[in-house]
Amino acid sequence: MDDKTEVLEREQLDIEILRDVNLRLPAVAPREAFPAVPLTVDARLQTRAVGQRATRPDCRMHGLGQTKYIDDIKLPGMLYARIKRAGISSARIKRIDTSGAEAMPGVMAVVIGKEIPVNSFGPTFQDQPVLAADRVFHAGDGVAAVAAVTEQIANEALEKIIVEYEALPAVFDPVEAMRDDAPKVHAPNSNIYASKVVRKGDVEKGFAESDHIFEGRFSTQMIEHVSLEPHAAIADWDATGRLTIYATIGRITLARADMARTLKLPMSRIRLIGTTVGGNFGGKNEISQEPALALLSKKTGRPVKGVFTRSEEFTSSTTRHPIIMDYKSGVTKEGRIVARQIRLVLDGGAYCSWSATTLGKACILSPGPYKIDNVLTEAFVVYTNKTMTGAMRGFGAPQVCFAYESHMDDIAKGLGKDQLEIRLLNAFDEGSSSPTGQVLHSVVVKETLNKAAARFGWESQS
Amino acid sequence: MKRRGRGIGCMWYPIGFTVDANPSAATVKVNEDGTATVLTGTVETGQGALTVLGQIAAEALGIATDDVHVVSGDTDVTPMDTGAIASRTTYVTGNAIYLAAEAAKAILFEAAAPMLGVKPSQLEAKDRRIQVKNFPQRAVTIGEVAFRSQVVLGQPAIGSATWNPPTVAMDPETGQGKPFATYVYATQIAEVDVDDETGEVEVLRICAAHDCGTAINPMLVEGQVEGGISMGVGMALQEEMLFDANGRIVNPSLTNYIMPTSLDMPEIHVDIVQGFDPTGPFGAKGVGEPTAVPTAAAILNAIHDAVGVRITALPATAEKVLAAIKAKKGAPKQIPG
Repeated sequence: MDDKTEVLEREQLDIEILRDVNLRLPAVAPREAFPAVPLTVDARLQTRAVGQRATRPDCRMHGLGQTKYIDDIKLPGMLYARIKRAGISSARIKRIDTSGAEAMPGVMAVVIGKEIPVNSFGPTFQDQPVLAADRVFHAGDGVAAVAAVTEQIANEALEKIIVEYEALPAVFDPVEAMRDDAPKVHAPNSNIYASKVVRKGDVEKGFAESDHIFEGRFSTQMIEHVSLEPHAAIADWDATGRLTIYATIGRITLARADMARTLKLPMSRIRLIGTTVGGNFGGKNEISQEPALALLSKKTGRPVKGVFTRSEEFTSSTTRHPIIMDYKSGVTKEGRIVARQIRLVLDGGAYCSWSATTLGKACILSPGPYKIDNVLTEAFVVYTNKTMTGAMRGFGAPQVCFAYESHMDDIAKGLGKDQLEIRLLNAFDEGSSSPTGQVLHSVVVKETLNKAAARFGWESQS
Repeated sequence: MKRRGRGIGCMWYPIGFTVDANPSAATVKVNEDGTATVLTGTVETGQGALTVLGQIAAEALGIATDDVHVVSGDTDVTPMDTGAIASRTTYVTGNAIYLAAEAAKAILFEAAAPMLGVKPSQLEAKDRRIQVKNFPQRAVTIGEVAFRSQVVLGQPAIGSATWNPPTVAMDPETGQGKPFATYVYATQIAEVDVDDETGEVEVLRICAAHDCGTAINPMLVEGQVEGGISMGVGMALQEEMLFDANGRIVNPSLTNYIMPTSLDMPEIHVDIVQGFDPTGPFGAKGVGEPTAVPTAAAILNAIHDAVGVRITALPATAEKVLAAIKAKKGAPKQIPG
């Protein structure tokens, strides 16, 4: 037995002993116990870098649990912020009394919506307040933010803030919200805040020329991103008047612009540092609590950290759009799609956020990767008094894919065709024209169909 | 009794923003020892983007992935970037970094040409050396050239560039236009078992064939596909935010909001379909979001294949599947009496 093996066995024994006495194991295992010997030539060292299965430079830190997220960062004198949530879906704020919270020992500052220089933001429409000032548009809206020396004191301070509401009519169903007599979420504007049309050929003519017509209605649910790391940020407004924000955010250029706008600060006085993001999936594409943290830092002269609870991730951050999708397709008896008409209604939640982009992608992609000469897609996104919907991995595409592929199987079944064959018959080719008239290049739909079918062992049943 | 079914989900997905400008800028600095530093305003969000961006810079400079350090995510230090969104990082930021690396390389070629007695246009960067095309024995290391360029000639090899996808605005009446520069394609086929007595669905395996143009890093592509499928399984079968009559979420916690764990994951087979897009960096497009797109469709079609019921409202929970199976069988026979 050589020395190294002996060391290894001894350390493994140590671990066993530690387990026996029920002690918490150290986060970092003894180095020798798990020798990280690469099994292959290190792909990171190869020239011709493209195509290499190179490991990530951050993977060792992740693997050892040593990556530092916002929650691991502590600046000297740092305070902890919490946000009071409305808990009512549609209301006028009659009065906010923060004096009880401010009088608490350990509470250093409170901020309300009226104090935010420009209390609105959003990538398309600036319809979202940092903290609700006069109106609450959904139950997860923040109404006040507190900074205290500990998170516990900040939490207790929220209880001492008194808010009087006058409840207003609310609407939660997107189809109801489209009606003229529905309560207006952002009065006096219509609840339909964006729409899009894609029209190619003539669907009515196409339906007339078809041998069969298939119709279906599909709908999807509201989904949260559930990143392991919640929304988190630290604001540090220093004595030179310069603001540094550490934030778990995927888009620092836009976030700095939003900060400059909401705080009325020159961009050059804001530094935005994007820390290691513990999961994004579209949920961390814009600012949320950061302007409130910045003002708390300005008031106290100390850095202020804010971390959403898991509950706030659901109630007060963006989510995936529920979509109601109506499909009608005209097909020949061979299974070729002649015409397709689609209507999409997106539940847009209380604020626009990334809904305009989601609407666009859902609308353009909704006919599917198929050659169809006659297409009409109409898509609408509608305000409701629910948590806001925004960017999430796929921007409306997973929803419409569920619809157009379910619809495709219904057509295959109706015609007695194999599901694979009907897709190969209709799929785009190199140079096919998309529903928006774009000539497509580098098209490999059929290759993916054939490859997946070969791997699966798909056998035709038609 | 458990019934087996199979279903296809096929999709297309665009890379980058819909029409709107979404530029990226980048700076590539070749250090005096032949390693390089890349400055980018994008942020690593766990997908491995910085590794891929480093590989693109390394490939352009003829050096290894490990020779490149990528600095990101600080508005004081890094150039603007539209960010880690819309599956655009490899394609848009990658193109900016490729162009910046080419600009830095041009400075190196200027310095190397007199050292090797040829014109800059005759040179190529390969295996950490700058060499004469088709005559590789005449070469000098990139480190030597970078040092000479900076310290002797006073011209450090630093390149900066920007890139924005070429699009055409859509007509507001007809929607006709070129909203995106390019698209990727994918097919996933799911195999499921559906228990027709409980409605419970188990996803057994998913075969995923994805196009991403050139796979800059096949391992990271596979990682994206596996992660995307886990989100697709949740969308298909479990995840749903529920509201009470007053618009308040009733399940804002991981106790009541059910999502897939490792125990719910199927066996996954990933195939990367060979593709090459001349408009992307080294032929690459992207892969992030599309991996989550066809999964739910494939699973729902497999449920239909297994038990003959079409669930039209996601998620296909056991309760919903069982109710559909019962409805299909018809109401239980009345006992005469």
